[in-house]
Amino acid sequence: MSARLTFAVPSKGRLMEQTADFLAESGLKLKKVGHDRGYRGEIEGLDGIDVAFISASEIVSALNSGRAHIGVTGEDLIRENIVDADTRVTLLKPLGFGRADVVVAVPSCWIDVNAVADLEAAAVAFRREHGRPFRVATKYINLARRFLSGKGIADYRIVESLGATEGTPAAGTADLIVDITTTGATLAANGLRVLDDGVILRSQANLVASKVAQWDADTKKARDDLFARLGLSA
Amino acid sequence: MGVAQPVNFEALEAQARTLLAVFIAAGYEAVAPDIIQPAGVFLDVVGEALRGRTYVFTDLNGEELCLRPDLTVPTCRLYLQRHPAADREAFYSYNGPAFRFQPAGAGASHPREFRQSGIEAFGDKDAGEADARTLVLILRALQQAGLGNWKLRIGDVGLFDALLGMAEMPDRWRRRLRHQFWRPEVFRAELKRLSTEPARSTAALPAALIEALDPDDVAGAEVLVSEHLEKAGIELIGVRSAAEIAEGLLAIAADAKAPPLKPEAAALIDAYVATRTPALDAAGVVRKLAGKTSDGLGQAIDAYERRCKLLVESGVDMSKVDFSAEFGRNVGYYTGFVFEVLVDALGPSSPVAGGGRYDGLLKAVGAPHDVPAVGGAVHTERLLTVVRGGKK
Repeated sequence: MSARLTFAVPSKGRLMEQTADFLAESGLKLKKVGHDRGYRGEIEGLDGIDVAFISASEIVSALNSGRAHIGVTGEDLIRENIVDADTRVTLLKPLGFGRADVVVAVPSCWIDVNAVADLEAAAVAFRREHGRPFRVATKYINLARRFLSGKGIADYRIVESLGATEGTPAAGTADLIVDITTTGATLAANGLRVLDDGVILRSQANLVASKVAQWDADTKKARDDLFARLGLSA
Repeated sequence: MGVAQPVNFEALEAQARTLLAVFIAAGYEAVAPDIIQPAGVFLDVVGEALRGRTYVFTDLNGEELCLRPDLTVPTCRLYLQRHPAADREAFYSYNGPAFRFQPAGAGASHPREFRQSGIEAFGDKDAGEADARTLVLILRALQQAGLGNWKLRIGDVGLFDALLGMAEMPDRWRRRLRHQFWRPEVFRAELKRLSTEPARSTAALPAALIEALDPDDVAGAEVLVSEHLEKAGIELIGVRSAAEIAEGLLAIAADAKAPPLKPEAAALIDAYVATRTPALDAAGVVRKLAGKTSDGLGQAIDAYERRCKLLVESGVDMSKVDFSAEFGRNVGYYTGFVFEVLVDALGPSSPVAGGGRYDGLLKAVGAPHDVPAVGGAVHTERLLTVVRGGKK
C-alpha cells in the first residue's frame, strides 16, 4: 500500500476560490471526488495526493497534528493556534491573498496613548482609578499575549471575543482590542485607532508544510511532484 | 502525570498527613478550597502572564474558569466567603492539587499537576511575629517530613518600597517603578530611561493642547481635553474618562520638562536591587548603601531586623539564610517578607517551599479593605523526591 499525501484546502468562500486560482496559475486543477458537496478531492494529473476541503482554522490543527502534510491557511491562524509554530510547520510561500493585519487598537480619544509603551503608564493610573487592569478583547489570545509581554506590558487582562470585537470598547466590555483589519475602516467607524507600533503581524494566506506528518518515500515524491509544478524547491 | 502512580500516591498521602498534622497542631484549621476557580480573579490579580501557565476554560454557561494554579488565592476566597467583612483573624491549612501548564513540557520537577501543602494567616496584628511564625512552621513541617538539609532565601518587598520612597523623584515615577518592580527587565529599562531621557515623545500629541495644559489645574485640563476632542470630532468612548486622559497628558507634559533622575538615586536603586548577603548582615548593608539618607528607611529596616531576631529566637539556623533584594519579584502580589526553601539536589529554580506576605491581595479578591496576610506552601512532590534521596 502506498502512502498518500494529504493536501488541505479551505473548504469555502474567497479563500477556497483564491487557492484554486493560485493552483490554476500553475496549470493545476482542483476537483471534487464523489459527491459535489463532499469534502474530498484530488488534483488532476497528480497521483498520490488526496485533497481535503476543510475550514482554514481546522487546516492549522491538521498540519499541527500531522493529519495533513501540506495546506493553505492564514499565517495569523498558524501563529495563534500552534505553540512554537516553527518547530511544527514550515511556511513555504506567502500567496498574496487573504491579507489582514493583526493590530492593537485603542479608542481614538486616548490621545495620551500613541505607542504600545504608553499603555504601561496608562495602566498604572487606570488600575489606581478603577481597581482593575485594562481589558483587551480579542480572539487572538496567544498573539496578543506574546506581543504585549514582548513589549514589556503586563498589567492587562484578555477577554476572549469571538465576534464584533471592534464594538467592545464603546460597549464598555473591554478597553482596547487586538483584532484583524484590512483597511481600518471598521476600526474608525467604532471610534478606534491603531497604535503607531501596534501592528502585530501582517498576515496573508500561506502554503504551509507540516513537519510532523509522516514523510516517507511516497509522500515525499508526491510533494516533490506538486512543488515541481508550483515552481517551488523542496 | 507522576502523581497518578500508586507508589507515589501512598507516599504523598502519608507525607501530607505529616505536614498537615504540624499545621493543625499549631492552630491552622484544615480547609479544602475549590479546585475549579473563576479565572477572572486570578487574571486580574496576577496578570495576564498567568494565562500562559494556567488551564483556563469556558464552561457551558460561558463562564471563564480555571484549574487553580496555586492555593493562596482560593484560600483568600474561602476566607471572604466565611467572613465577608474580613474583620477577624483566621488561620487555615490545606493539602491539595494545583495545576500549571508547563510550556517547556512537564517533568518531574515541574509537573503540570502537583500537590501543595500550606498555611495562610489572615488579619494578623503583628506582621513581624506572623511572618516569623509562618516560616518557622513551614520549616518545622519540612523537618517532620524528613528534610534535613536546606538553605533559605529571603527578601523584603517592604524594604524596596521604603528605599524607593526615599529616592528623590516625582511620585508618578515612583508609582511606575513600584509597578514594574516584579518584572526585572522592564524595571531596568524604565530606570535607565528615567535617568537618561525621561521625556516621552510628544510628536504624536496635539502641540497646542499640551502647551495650554496647566499641571496645577487638573480640572481645567479635563475641560481642555474635552474641548479638544469635540473640536477634532473624536467621540469619547469607553471607560476611561476625559479626566484620566488629561492626567495622562499632564504626566507626559511634566516628563517632557523634568530633569532626569539623579545619578545618585539611580545608583542607589541599582545597588540595592543587586544586594545579596547573609541575612543577618542585610540590614547593615542596606543602611550603608543608603548612607546619610537611611533615616527614611528606619521603619522598614527595623521591621526587617526584628523579624530576623524573632527567627533567631525560634531557633532558625540563620547561617543557612541569605537575603536577596531581587527576590520576591516574580509574583506581583507580594508586599513584604518573602521566602524560599532550597535544597542542593534540586537547585535554585525548584524550591521545595516558599511563601510571603501579601497585604493587598484580599482587597483585590473582594475584601472591603486591605487585610494583613501571610502564608507559605510546600511543593510536596519535590519534597518527597528529596527526602527519598532522588536527584530529579
